[in-house]
Amino acid sequence: MTEIRLQNINQYFGETHILKNIDFTFLEGKFYTILGPSGCGKTTLLKIIGGFVNQTSGDLYFGDKKMNEIPANKRQVNTVFQDYALFPHLNVYENVAFGLKIKKVSKVEREARIKEALRFTNLTDFKYRDIEQLSGGQKQRVAIARAIVNEPDILLLDESLSALDHNLRVDMQYELKELQQKLGITFIFVTHDQEEALALSDEILVMDKGHIVQAGSPKDIYDEPLNKYVADFIGESNIVEGEMLEDGKVSIYGRAYECVDGGVKSGTPVEIMVRPEDIVLKPLEEGHLNVTVDSILFRGVHYEICVLDEDGYEWVIHTTQKTEEGKKVSIYFDKEDMHIMVPGEKEDEFNERLELYEGIL
Amino acid sequence: MKRVLALPYLLWMVVFVILPVFLMIYYSFNDMSGNLTLQNYAEFLSSNYIKMTLNSFWYAFLITVITLIVSYPLALVISRLKHKTFWLLIIIIPTWINILLKTYAFIGILGINGILNSVLEKFGLMKIQLLFSDFAFITVAVYIFIPFMVLPIFNSINGINKNLIWASYDLGASKWEALTKVIIPLSLEGVKSGIQITFIPALSLFMLSRLVAGNKVVTLGTAIEQQFLTNENWGMGSTVGVFLILFMVFVMLVTRTKKESI
Amino acid sequence: MNTLSRSFLTVIIIFLYFPILYLAYYSFNTGGSMTSFEGFTLDYYKSVIENKALMTVIMNTIAVALISSGFATIIGLFGAIFLYLIRQKYVKSTLLTLNNVLIVSPDVIIGASLLILFSIFGIKLGSTSVILAHIAFSVPIVVLMILPSLYQQNSNLVLAAHDLGASAFHVVTKVLIPNIKPGIFAGFLMALTYSLDDFAVTFFVTGNGFSTLSVEIYAMARRGITLEINAISTVIFVVVLTISFIYYFVSDKKIKRGKTT
Repeated sequence: MTEIRLQNINQYFGETHILKNIDFTFLEGKFYTILGPSGCGKTTLLKIIGGFVNQTSGDLYFGDKKMNEIPANKRQVNTVFQDYALFPHLNVYENVAFGLKIKKVSKVEREARIKEALRFTNLTDFKYRDIEQLSGGQKQRVAIARAIVNEPDILLLDESLSALDHNLRVDMQYELKELQQKLGITFIFVTHDQEEALALSDEILVMDKGHIVQAGSPKDIYDEPLNKYVADFIGESNIVEGEMLEDGKVSIYGRAYECVDGGVKSGTPVEIMVRPEDIVLKPLEEGHLNVTVDSILFRGVHYEICVLDEDGYEWVIHTTQKTEEGKKVSIYFDKEDMHIMVPGEKEDEFNERLELYEGIL
Repeated sequence: MKRVLALPYLLWMVVFVILPVFLMIYYSFNDMSGNLTLQNYAEFLSSNYIKMTLNSFWYAFLITVITLIVSYPLALVISRLKHKTFWLLIIIIPTWINILLKTYAFIGILGINGILNSVLEKFGLMKIQLLFSDFAFITVAVYIFIPFMVLPIFNSINGINKNLIWASYDLGASKWEALTKVIIPLSLEGVKSGIQITFIPALSLFMLSRLVAGNKVVTLGTAIEQQFLTNENWGMGSTVGVFLILFMVFVMLVTRTKKESI
Repeated sequence: MNTLSRSFLTVIIIFLYFPILYLAYYSFNTGGSMTSFEGFTLDYYKSVIENKALMTVIMNTIAVALISSGFATIIGLFGAIFLYLIRQKYVKSTLLTLNNVLIVSPDVIIGASLLILFSIFGIKLGSTSVILAHIAFSVPIVVLMILPSLYQQNSNLVLAAHDLGASAFHVVTKVLIPNIKPGIFAGFLMALTYSLDDFAVTFFVTGNGFSTLSVEIYAMARRGITLEINAISTVIFVVVLTISFIYYFVSDKKIKRGKTT
């Protein structure tokens, strides 16, 4: 079937450089998420794959076939639009049948495929409803049914869950993931919601200002963000500046700590990231840094505690441990939980460095 | 408080909307000397008036269809332009020129020595009397109604969510299929308004038939004008008027848009 | 944008403007007809200005338009507010339907029925009847132009005003009306256009030597071609064109400015 290859794709809208030298290969049958803030170019990238926008330069391949000149209606790709774009003059059944009728699929086969698609999306009971009568979640499912009934090789989803309220969104996340596994086709999902990206994806592409900054599994990206941008975008993080001393040793505020990273020249300024849930509160002087508790917020499953260290930096901690505002304590984290980032490092250099030192230190 | 300020409005409604309709109905049962009679209705249902009514409908129908055939593609083309409001304005500007002036222009263009005939002559064709014909009537009417038809159609096409059109391409539709299966069905409301705006006045244009059709085309409007202002038979004029109102209500019901029916 | 649609648009625009430009072209013709252009002259413009009867008609037309639109705007404004404040859905939709009757009615029906009305009330046909008729068909247009701007404003505004102790009168004069000024202006302009453009209604209810431009042109055109009409038409066209383009570029700039801020 199909892998999608983007080769040096550039997109300009007038003077604005929307996509910059995008190179990426989407493997078949995986769930990809393109994650980034609005304006980073993620939707444009999706539109190029869907055939709604022609890239200014660069090549797009589906398998070995160059797709540059192929219009949207001739691509084995279907899209679930952000606003669903359901035809308001047609009912649920007619919406789902639209693509098959266009392709002149025989009536028997058409009925069978529609039935199957409606069953897949739990819409069988809503077959003859008007679009106006549907709830947001149902509309979402019709949009999905209308797309998958065409048996595309690739399904594109443009911020498809963002119009739903929180609970429904979480439910739909499960349904989407399950659907993708059942269908076994490639899903490319665009979102600005990092939780959604982490929950759904086999692989996440983090985008910023027209670049793919980092691509990898949710766990890789969460644990080993390439830089401050990715770290901040995915999950919450504490980032402090420091200096690399030698492989396995980093200095923070002039004090040396053991770490598990290496391959960085001694004396290089680095950023050290620690996730809030990896920090443990200890009695004064027993941890790495002495801090004063500034505020405590109860978040349900954990407390979100803000503390100030002696240099005035703020640390965010997620913990179930109890403490009081104004109390002086200290914070501690394992060396495995410190992640060292080198400002300006490229993704491939970063990956190389990680591979080299993985498990050595 | 609000009642006092609204009094002139309610007065207007009674005096200028409700009362005139009733007066017209009342007069339709009057003969020329003011006696109650059914004579006018009997006359209207006679063959002459029926023929005239059918005639009037036929011309109104032709005018509406031709105007629609021109206006729909025009609205579609404009909706795809970059500066669409500008081009829409260009189409609308002629409506601000007095309708009589435009009609008068056609007297010059279509006349026996007019520009159209001199063009025909250059191509070695015979001069023909274009003015004072049903051709002139339809041409001028279509000319007048095009902008009025374009406006509602443009608005409804322009209001279609662009993603719906993308969605139809996404599902394999060609441009033609996107037009016939998505854009046209979704702009029917605009078409209906356009038909309303064209068909009802087209039934009642009287000055056009006087000026450019040389009375060859007699519409319901011509009949009313003639009865009221030439024959001074207000009763018969009112009877024709009552039927025109009935036809109008019928057209309104047929072309009623969704919004209105809610 | 392919060639086919481009040429289609061009053809239609030529069709729409040809008659108007045709009139303008021959307005400068010494030949006195609309068939062959013999030489350039401004005589017809001069004769329009010198033609006292015609100037009176033009003044009449403008006066009728201004007076009737003014009255219609006041009546329509309070009518629209009244409709806006009505709570019962059924009453509201009935009144709205009645409001729209004159908009959808053919001109001849309005003209004929008002002719009956005026004769019954003994109103002499002439300037009064024409102005009354123009007010009559302008009111619903004003109402329809103002209603949307009433609905667009925040409905809490009225509640807030009441909450702050405003009387009903103050709510209307200090809150509602200032908020819908653009709608009122648009209504007035629309009434003005309808009045200036009207022929059929005026034709029915005028008399006593009182005439507006449309009626006068009709009379002149039935008598045959006179290039004075061409001259008037050219002046009107230039005025309309100028106003339209000023309006377009002013509103266009406004939109663009709005976008950048």
